[in-house]
Amino acid sequence: MQDFGKLFRENNIIFVTLALCLVFFLISPRFLSVDNMSAISRQIVPIGLIALGQFFVVVSGNIDLSMGMGSVLFAIVLGVIFGVTGGVALGIVAVIVFSLAFGFVNGLLVAKLKLPSFIVTLAGLFIAQGLSGLIIPRGQQIFLMGGFFRFVGAEKYFGFYASFLFLVALFALAYVVYNHTRWGAYVIAIGNSEENAKLAGINVDRVKIGIFMFSALCSGFAGVILSSRMGFVQPGLDGNGLLLDGIAAIIIGGTLILGGRGTVTGAFWGLLFIGVTNNALNLLNVTDVWHQVFKGSIILAALGANYVLWQSRQAEAQ
Amino acid sequence: MNTFKKLTAGLALAGSMMGTTALAADGTLDVVFINDGHVAPYHVAWLSGFEDALKAYDEAFDDVKVTGRWLSAEGSLEKMIQQAEVTINEKPDVMFVNAINVDAFEPLVAKAQAEGITWIAVHSPMDSADYSFTLGDVVNGTNQGMAMCALSGGEPYKVGIMLGQAGNPSGEARREGILKGISTCDNIEVVAEQPADWDTVKAQSITENWLTQFPDLDAISGVTDGYMYPAIAVSQNSGRTDIDFYGYDGDIPIIQQMEGGNVKADILLSGTREGWNFVQMAYRIYKGEEIEKVYDFFTPLVLSKENHEIALANGFPADVQVYHVEDALEVAAKGYLEFGPDSVK
Amino acid sequence: MADITAPQRRSFSLDGLTLRYAVLVGLIVIASIGFSMANENFYSMTNIGILLRSISVLFLVSMGMTFVMLTGGIDLSVGSNVAFSGGVGVVTLVSTGSPWLGFAAAILAGMAIGWINGFFIGKLQLSAFMVTLATFAAARGLALVIYDADSINVHDPVFLWLGGTSWGNLPVVIPFVALMFVALSILLYKTTFGRDVYATGSNFNTAFVLGRQPGRKLIWVYVLTGALAGLSAIITVGRVSSGQPWTGLYLEFDAITAVILGGTALAGGRGKLLGTILGVLLYGIIINGLVLTGTNPYLQSVIKGAILLGVVLLDTYTQRGKA
Repeated sequence: MQDFGKLFRENNIIFVTLALCLVFFLISPRFLSVDNMSAISRQIVPIGLIALGQFFVVVSGNIDLSMGMGSVLFAIVLGVIFGVTGGVALGIVAVIVFSLAFGFVNGLLVAKLKLPSFIVTLAGLFIAQGLSGLIIPRGQQIFLMGGFFRFVGAEKYFGFYASFLFLVALFALAYVVYNHTRWGAYVIAIGNSEENAKLAGINVDRVKIGIFMFSALCSGFAGVILSSRMGFVQPGLDGNGLLLDGIAAIIIGGTLILGGRGTVTGAFWGLLFIGVTNNALNLLNVTDVWHQVFKGSIILAALGANYVLWQSRQAEAQ
Repeated sequence: MNTFKKLTAGLALAGSMMGTTALAADGTLDVVFINDGHVAPYHVAWLSGFEDALKAYDEAFDDVKVTGRWLSAEGSLEKMIQQAEVTINEKPDVMFVNAINVDAFEPLVAKAQAEGITWIAVHSPMDSADYSFTLGDVVNGTNQGMAMCALSGGEPYKVGIMLGQAGNPSGEARREGILKGISTCDNIEVVAEQPADWDTVKAQSITENWLTQFPDLDAISGVTDGYMYPAIAVSQNSGRTDIDFYGYDGDIPIIQQMEGGNVKADILLSGTREGWNFVQMAYRIYKGEEIEKVYDFFTPLVLSKENHEIALANGFPADVQVYHVEDALEVAAKGYLEFGPDSVK
Repeated sequence: MADITAPQRRSFSLDGLTLRYAVLVGLIVIASIGFSMANENFYSMTNIGILLRSISVLFLVSMGMTFVMLTGGIDLSVGSNVAFSGGVGVVTLVSTGSPWLGFAAAILAGMAIGWINGFFIGKLQLSAFMVTLATFAAARGLALVIYDADSINVHDPVFLWLGGTSWGNLPVVIPFVALMFVALSILLYKTTFGRDVYATGSNFNTAFVLGRQPGRKLIWVYVLTGALAGLSAIITVGRVSSGQPWTGLYLEFDAITAVILGGTALAGGRGKLLGTILGVLLYGIIINGLVLTGTNPYLQSVIKGAILLGVVLLDTYTQRGKA
């Protein structure tokens, strides 16, 4: 019975997304053009990385508010290292090391000191925001030129952007880890009940720290891709917008914010939903003003739909 | 010290009534610059130009101690008002305020003037302020539009324009100017106008959408160079090397893309220059010099020499002030050339 | 029945909270001494007036947020709601010419957003975080629509009075906020509604079993927060003598930070309004001092984060020391 509910919820978001595409196509046939589809596929990559990292955090019953500003900070780490040394590989390594360390600190504070992840990562958000301006000399912009950035920003294979393929690969990997390894089961168990997870012999602290390191790493990747596409870095980018889009994507995709439930495929469809909405509102020249109203209403509607599903499942259970 | 300050304040007030504010020479000049933000490339250059100029003036003149600081309201009007209140209570000599909403500051201007502070309204002029520092946005925009006309080659030419935040006076004025300039010829079609809210990320998405939507797009124009960074990067990475760019702000990295690059025209504000000009203006006020109540920042059009000749041949008015790339880069990088201590010695 | 568990919980939490308050007072003293050494103007009456006025809105919104967080919820929509309800109030004022109708409209508009939050959270039992994230976007969008993304100047002296007037160095909004504090304290500590707020946060299911109808109470908590956002909107309009669509941006982050600083538990059930007041004060003093000293805005962010983390860490250690 639960399987049916799960399936239905996933299909629900798929149907809604496809219906939305159809509506946009009818309004503007260009919407379904290959070019536009590939533009969407590229635009969703940073949001998708945030969503993927956040997915594991949320399923474990936590939240990582530092992901958006984190990606801005890590992009700047890349820019500064590249600007000073001219080395791309060194910059990427620095981003990976720095982001893992950032996530490790978050995870440590949450797991070992039992601080609420909301507070820890809210503080992390402020600190990342501040550091992003402090580590770059006088807040200047640094250009990211050269083959690697062009590759990340615009290279295509079989008609797909390399960055999009990377995202899909990461989602596939996450799918396997989440559904077919002990790790995934641990994350769900912790999200359902930390006490029980502990009683079952799971090393809760280690799993939690790992989750936060992964989410920070995802922010790091998001930062690299975002800045490569823009061709330059600069502090003060709106990381929080990215964060909220990422959270919205996984919730629309049926992830329970209280933890313990969610599917990777659902998260991916939620991401497509957000990406299609963002793109269409731009493509159709909808003024920014209505953009926000629309987005808020869509999230509320998705929540309402989840509620109805939950109700029907309750009824069936009885 | 205190009574002395009050006395000078009184003098300053009397001075301001006569149109020129003499900050009697008590040997200190304290300048505070309250800006609406600090993260956009233009703001960064602006604030560092201001910092450098303060230092340079302090070192250049032995008879006066020049101090100052900048504050960023981070886009929030409430924050800006609080910062202005706190600053007035500090009684600096001169305040530059880039007000997010001019009307909200009327009461504070009066309060500042009662304390003997010279209030300089930045960009949006205020009648009540001692001085207004303006940019001539409509004229600049018109120059950009006319340059586009002259360089478009007479063939049908499609352009997308990226605007500021809806309702923002500077952005609206620039838009008005650009459209006015474009309307001087009939081969240019504005295929899209969209606000990017001074946000580089939004500018990036908009560029990507436009390139898809208008396969025959010829040019992208913007009301700030902040949009040009992602627009240039995205276009080049997509292999669309045929697109022309028309900027506004005079950011150095953008002007560098003119010679042999795809940036056809820019407006030389340059944040560095403006920051230096602020301190020069404060110093001139301190010295009791007479300055126009509405001070217009000198903002020439930037073209490459080659393009300037083409434009002139195509009927571009000869009386429009144009800087060629080399000169523009020189003054943009070195604010002291035009506005340094040597300019007022 | 309910009272059997309540006193125990309270006596335990009081100790922790008293300690937290001592820490906050200590930090406030240290911060103000530090800033007054850096700048002689810090202690001037004018500056104190400016400081208090600048955090008056944060006081109101944070007190509402305290109620919400006591129930174990969160309200991300308050900042957007301040812009939205202000817009409704200003448009009503402009179109009818009546400041009183404007006030009523602003507060009702705030309550409406609060009711939507409360309905989804209390009635449908959806996550407060997600629901208010949705209204965070929607209310900001509606504000932009109402204002057409532009500001509207307000000249009506009655409408501007609360936020704009000062008696000498004392802005009238300060005694008003103090009155609200007293009123909200009575509501929270002396009424059954207040006891239910604590009970809801302590354990939703228990409260439900005990017939306290937590769902309906939750709706009222969010409506109350919305009403306070409406009041804040009126104060903000008075302060900037205009209606602004971008007002209150990220105010919710500030309010949540202040409430957490004030010792209210995220899980609900523990905390007091006094703590929130101290939290807002500490926050306000730091922001004011950083403006006075012209501190780089990026450094300000780092300091904000460090203080948030520092206070919570300190709390953990003191709690652990006792255990």
